Amino acid sequence: MLRALLSGLGWRKGIWGCAFSSWQPHQPPAGLSATEVVSHWTVVFEEKGIPEARESSEYIVAHVLGAKTFQSLRPALRTQPLTPWQLQCIQELSSYRLQRMPVQYILGEWDFQGLNLKMAPPVFIPRPETEELVEWVLEEVTQGPRVVGAEGGPLILEVGCGSGAISLSLLSRLPQRVGGGPWSPSLVSEHPASHVPLFLGQSRVTAVDKGEAAICLTHENAQRLRLQDRIQIVPFDVTLVESWAHLLPWGPVDLVVSNPPYVFHRDMENLAPEILRYEDPVALDGGEEGMDIITHILALAPQLLKDSGIFLEVDPRHPELVGSWLQSQPDLPLNLVAVRRDFRGRPRFLHIRRSGPQRVSPVDAWPGRQPARVPG
Amino acid sequence: MSTSGLFRFPAPLTRVCPVPWGLRLCEKLPLLSPGTVATPVQAAGKKDRPTLLSLDERELEEQFVKGHGPGGQATNKTSNCVVLRHVPSGIVVKCHQTRSVDQNRKLARRILQEKVDVFYNGENSLVCREKREAEKRKQERKKRAKETLEKKKLLKEQWESSKNVP
Repeated sequence: MLRALLSGLGWRKGIWGCAFSSWQPHQPPAGLSATEVVSHWTVVFEEKGIPEARESSEYIVAHVLGAKTFQSLRPALRTQPLTPWQLQCIQELSSYRLQRMPVQYILGEWDFQGLNLKMAPPVFIPRPETEELVEWVLEEVTQGPRVVGAEGGPLILEVGCGSGAISLSLLSRLPQRVGGGPWSPSLVSEHPASHVPLFLGQSRVTAVDKGEAAICLTHENAQRLRLQDRIQIVPFDVTLVESWAHLLPWGPVDLVVSNPPYVFHRDMENLAPEILRYEDPVALDGGEEGMDIITHILALAPQLLKDSGIFLEVDPRHPELVGSWLQSQPDLPLNLVAVRRDFRGRPRFLHIRRSGPQRVSPVDAWPGRQPARVPG
Repeated sequence: MSTSGLFRFPAPLTRVCPVPWGLRLCEKLPLLSPGTVATPVQAAGKKDRPTLLSLDERELEEQFVKGHGPGGQATNKTSNCVVLRHVPSGIVVKCHQTRSVDQNRKLARRILQEKVDVFYNGENSLVCREKREAEKRKQERKKRAKETLEKKKLLKEQWESSKNVP
């Protein structure tokens, strides 16, 4: 556990130089229990205006004691005195929180859809809303029209993979293969009508990102989760190319999923210091109306898309904007077919599908096609 | 504690509970996104455990991720504590067991289900009945162990005495 602690902070050189210094601001008195230490740091954070003072303190203390949340700690562990080493670790991690570092970066790991993923700045931290996006894609894949390609499937393309959260959670929930492969019990019990094997081959993902750090982190998380054989991670900037044809080593994809940068440029400066100081702005800034990357994805996706379409997470203002934009692109055979709300009741997710009958395979169609004009 | 009336099943729900409880399968709820189906909360895990009384989502008030702000990419919050209140009884459950809001919501419902069961059914609630059954099994095991020990002792004495017979 301590190794994980060190590696989580290792990206910042020289921190261990101050680990054992005698000057320790805010250090609580010795002999306190976990509960008392949490209260101590909560007060310190509150005095310094740190948001989520209690939650931050709880996560840090729980992490040092080897648990994911404070409430999940055995009551006995919460009441016995902490060792000087534990207090030291808590002090160190808390000093980062005082500098507004997000808790996920401080701990160096976070959970998404039940998977534990490594986190490292400046790679974008997965948001809880995005778990709902994964659920929707899984529903579509298991309940929607059956799609079986040359390789079996489903074949998924993720644009802007970041830490790999979406791709890896999809892979971990999708059946690996028919017959011999491990079945995900959750799929069978939630969709009892569809425990007939759906796919003749492996479900696979191509994950792309323009950031080098994201590519590395997704690789690392794929290996941690032993999913590296089913994911292809490709450095790629979707805004710099006119076609995605070379992303088709396995043929056309069954669906495209993305949590693209969608923050309106004018909103960027209002973001919390946690985000502005530590996360890559490129992963957030979507241009004037937050639509730049979205429109690129929509413009190019039909070239490699089969049936199921495109699943996006967006800003609540986007359903209308995307609807209008699609209408302004008559050559683009896409329709906005569904909008889904997040757990806060905000319109957050879009499902866009090919409109009209599929004439030929998208790969055959693209050489002669002119891609739709992309604004900006 | 007398054991006579305790293993009867509780009276039909409509008599015990002030509000009619039933299965609400396909209600569209403001708490859930339109795509999901509201399922009654079932006691999961143990197969032969009789199911707890279902909670009606409309009687629940839920609160999570307070003061959220714009949400999505524009926010980075780690608080996924779920506070769930059962309005008719006033029971409140706070769950922060996991890092997933979804998981915490499910766990909160399970815990609330048990607490509401105890509230309305008292000694007849599932939790109390299971405790008593576990205690009963424990006592029986102790008794059997004691009997076995005594038998062994008796046999040993018999064998000892048979040895001494010339």
